[in-house]
Amino acid sequence: MNPNLQQVNHFFNKKRFRLSLILVILGLAYAGASLGLGFQTHSLLNIQDGIAWLIQNFIPNEASKGYWHEISQQLFRTFLVAVAATTCAAVGALFLAIIGAKTLTAAITVSWVIRGFSSLLRNIPIVAWAMILLFSFKQNDLTGFLALFFMTLGFLTRAFMETIEDFGTEKIQALQATGATYLQVIFQGLLPEIAVALMSWILYMIENNVRDATLVGLLTGTGIGFIFNLYFKSLRYGAAGLVVLSVILLVVTVELISNLIGRLLS
Amino acid sequence: MLTVNHLAKSYDGEKKSLTDVSFSVRSGEVTVIIGPSGAGKTTILRSINQLIRDDEGEILFDQIDMRQLNRVQLRRARSHIGMIFQSYNLIEPLTAIENVLHGCLGTKSNFAGIFSIYNNREKEEALKLLQKVGLEEFAYQQCRNLSGGQKQRVGIARALMQHPKIILCDEPIASLDPKSTITVMDILRGLAVNDGISVLINLHQVDIAREYADHVIGINNGQVVFDDRTQALSDAAITGIYRKNANLEGSLVHES
Repeated sequence: MNPNLQQVNHFFNKKRFRLSLILVILGLAYAGASLGLGFQTHSLLNIQDGIAWLIQNFIPNEASKGYWHEISQQLFRTFLVAVAATTCAAVGALFLAIIGAKTLTAAITVSWVIRGFSSLLRNIPIVAWAMILLFSFKQNDLTGFLALFFMTLGFLTRAFMETIEDFGTEKIQALQATGATYLQVIFQGLLPEIAVALMSWILYMIENNVRDATLVGLLTGTGIGFIFNLYFKSLRYGAAGLVVLSVILLVVTVELISNLIGRLLS
Repeated sequence: MLTVNHLAKSYDGEKKSLTDVSFSVRSGEVTVIIGPSGAGKTTILRSINQLIRDDEGEILFDQIDMRQLNRVQLRRARSHIGMIFQSYNLIEPLTAIENVLHGCLGTKSNFAGIFSIYNNREKEEALKLLQKVGLEEFAYQQCRNLSGGQKQRVGIARALMQHPKIILCDEPIASLDPKSTITVMDILRGLAVNDGISVLINLHQVDIAREYADHVIGINNGQVVFDDRTQALSDAAITGIYRKNANLEGSLVHES
C-alpha cells in the first residue's frame, strides 16, 4: 500500500477513535448523574401527559381576555425598564471600556481592575442581583432596573473592550501622528469606526434584558413577572398563559426590530 | 531638515532591532529607505514622529530633538510631520473630506476637534487638496467605498492638510496595483519637487526606488549599509543591502 495513503488512513482512524471516546465519556457522565439524582430515564416516556395538561390549562380562554389591558400595561412597563437599564449601562460601559482597553489604557493595572470589576458584575447571576438589591431597594421598578443595569454594565464593558481592542492601534496612531489629542482620537477615530458594532451589542442586550426583566419582575414584584406570578398562584392559568404568550410576542418583535436596525446600519 | 544620529532600539531588551542608525534628509528631496523585511525600516520611520519610542540616539527635526519633547511640544511637532501608511489608516465610515480635515486636528482645541468644528478656510483647503489628488468628486463618499489607490490619495491629502515640512511614508504602495502605484508615487515626487516638502519613503521595490528617489538609504539588520545618491545604487550595492544575515537565516524573507 502507498505509505502516504496508510498515513491518511491512520489519521482518520485516530480521529474516529477520539470522537467515539468523547461520546462514551458523555454517556457515562449522564449515567453517573442520573444515578446520583435517582432520575429514571424511562419516565421521559410519560412526558406527553404533562404537556397535554399544560396545553389544556394554559391556553388563554374567554375569561382571560379581560386581563389583556393590565397585561399590556405591565408588559410595556417591563420593556421600558429593560431599555432604560441597557442604555444607561451602555454609557457607563463605553466609558469604562475606553479607559480599560489595552490599546488605549494609560496603565495596564487600570485595565486589569476594570476587567475584574466587569467580570464580577456579570458573573453574579441576574437572580442573585435581584435578591440582593431587594433588601435595600424593596419591591419597586428601581430594584429591577438596578439588577439589569449592573449585569448589563459588566457584560457590555467586556464586549466594548474587546471591540475596541480588535480595532487595533494602527488607525489610532495615524491620528496621533497628525498631532491629535487623546480625546480627539477617541471622538474622531475610534467612535465612528466602532459605532455599528457598539449598536449591535446594545440591541442584543436590549433583547436579552426584555427576557430577563420578566424573571427579575417575578422576584422584585413588579412588571409582567409579578402579574404572571399573581395569576399563576391564584390558579388563573388562562391569564398566566396569556402573559407568557405576550412576552414571547414582545421578545420576537424586539428581535425583529433589532435585526432590521442592524441591517440598516451595516 | 531632519537628522537622525545614532538611533538604537530593542523591543525585547535583548535583540537589537536598530543599532546605531544615522542619516539625514534634505528639504525638497525624495529619500527612500530600502532593505529586507524585518531590517528595521518601519521602526526608523515611526521613531521620527515618536509613534515608537526608541532607546538611544537623537532625532533632530528643525534643530529640535524629538526625543526630548514633552506631550504638548510633541503634539505641536507632530502636526508638522505628515504620515501615510501601507494600510491607509483612514477612518473608513467617515467621508473623504472628514478624513482630510483630520489633518488639522493638531492645531485645534480639544473641543473643536471632538465636535468637528472647522472654519471656512480649513474646509476650502480640504476641498482644494482633494482636487489636487484628483478626488474632488469623492469628497462625500465614505472611505470604505473607495479603492486602495483612492484611499491612499485621501491619506496624502490628510497629510498635506497638516502643512507638513516632511512626509513619512510607511510602505505607501505595498498594497496597491501597478497603476495606482505610479499615481501615488508621482504625487509624492511632485510634493518634493514642486512644494519643497521632504518625502521619506520606506519601500520594498528597488526599481521604484531607482525611478523616484534622489537619495537612497539601505538598511540591513538594523544598520545603515548604504547612504548615497540614487545614481550610486549599483546592482552590487543592492545585493549588499539585501544579503541574508547568517544569524537571521530563515526569518529574513526577501520580498521583491
